[in-house]
Amino acid sequence: MFTRFEEYAATQMLGQPDSPPRSEGKLFFSEEWQRTVFGMALALSKEGHFEWEDFRQNLIHTIAAWENSACGGETRWDYYERYTIALIAILEQCGILEPGELERQLTPDEASK
Amino acid sequence: MTPLFDYDENREAASAAKVRALEALLIKKGVLGSDSVDAVLSHFETVAGPFNGARIVARAWLDSDYKRRLLEDTPKAIAELHFPGMDGAEGEHMKAVANSASVHNLVICTLCSCYPWPVLGLPPYWYKDPVFRSRGVREPRAVLREFGVPISAEKEVKIWDSSAQIRWFVIPERPANSEHLNEAQLAALITPEAMMGVALVPAPPAA
Repeated sequence: MFTRFEEYAATQMLGQPDSPPRSEGKLFFSEEWQRTVFGMALALSKEGHFEWEDFRQNLIHTIAAWENSACGGETRWDYYERYTIALIAILEQCGILEPGELERQLTPDEASK
Repeated sequence: MTPLFDYDENREAASAAKVRALEALLIKKGVLGSDSVDAVLSHFETVAGPFNGARIVARAWLDSDYKRRLLEDTPKAIAELHFPGMDGAEGEHMKAVANSASVHNLVICTLCSCYPWPVLGLPPYWYKDPVFRSRGVREPRAVLREFGVPISAEKEVKIWDSSAQIRWFVIPERPANSEHLNEAQLAALITPEAMMGVALVPAPPAA
């Protein structure tokens, strides 16, 4: 029914636990990195690196983990932080990233020790 | 934002750094193109979205012949504007209805969650809500009042149920004191909610 992957992907999320923030008919990003991470997952799935549904299950799982965490002392809700966790998880599951590879990029000094 | 909801700047910076590093790593690995993110998001940002609907409505306000053609054969009239996003299946069966002094139109979807994406963009969160769906049919005037759109008893309220066959959108009434505005300025006043019939288009500030 959908001829465009982008519309299929976004529609699967609407009304579901992983529904993305939006405003006035448009996706809502308050920071550039949020737009980047949203677009990365979409682009990688569109290119066939993983099934959109498999990514969504990761996202729903990481959202549920936050919802189920104890009140107080937890980090504030951040949809795109959950989204980033889910994207890294699916990339590790499909072998594009090795476990811990991104962390080593972020702290190159530590990795070279 | 109140201080209570101030975001931890370190956390924001850490998220941004992580995403930047991930993007760089994936580009280096050759799995992501340097313009892949912009390319995929352009669909939502420039191809299919409420900016198309706003242009259609603004044109209909300025050109009564165009409005007539839009009501008679919506896809054909939209095709006149040569939008790039109208080739998808979601845009094929759109139908416009016009608000007037005697009629107010409200679009709902009781069958599935059909929505005219190419002209309205992503639906609001309550569009799939069972409360909106059922009350929109049973007591549309009460629902519209809650949306801040009281409809006088003399005005007829028509409900349109979007489906896979027909996806409806509303041509709202042109606001008062908008005679001096051009098409782009008029389009800027028009929201997706107005094109669903749950909002009116406010009058622009006096020139």
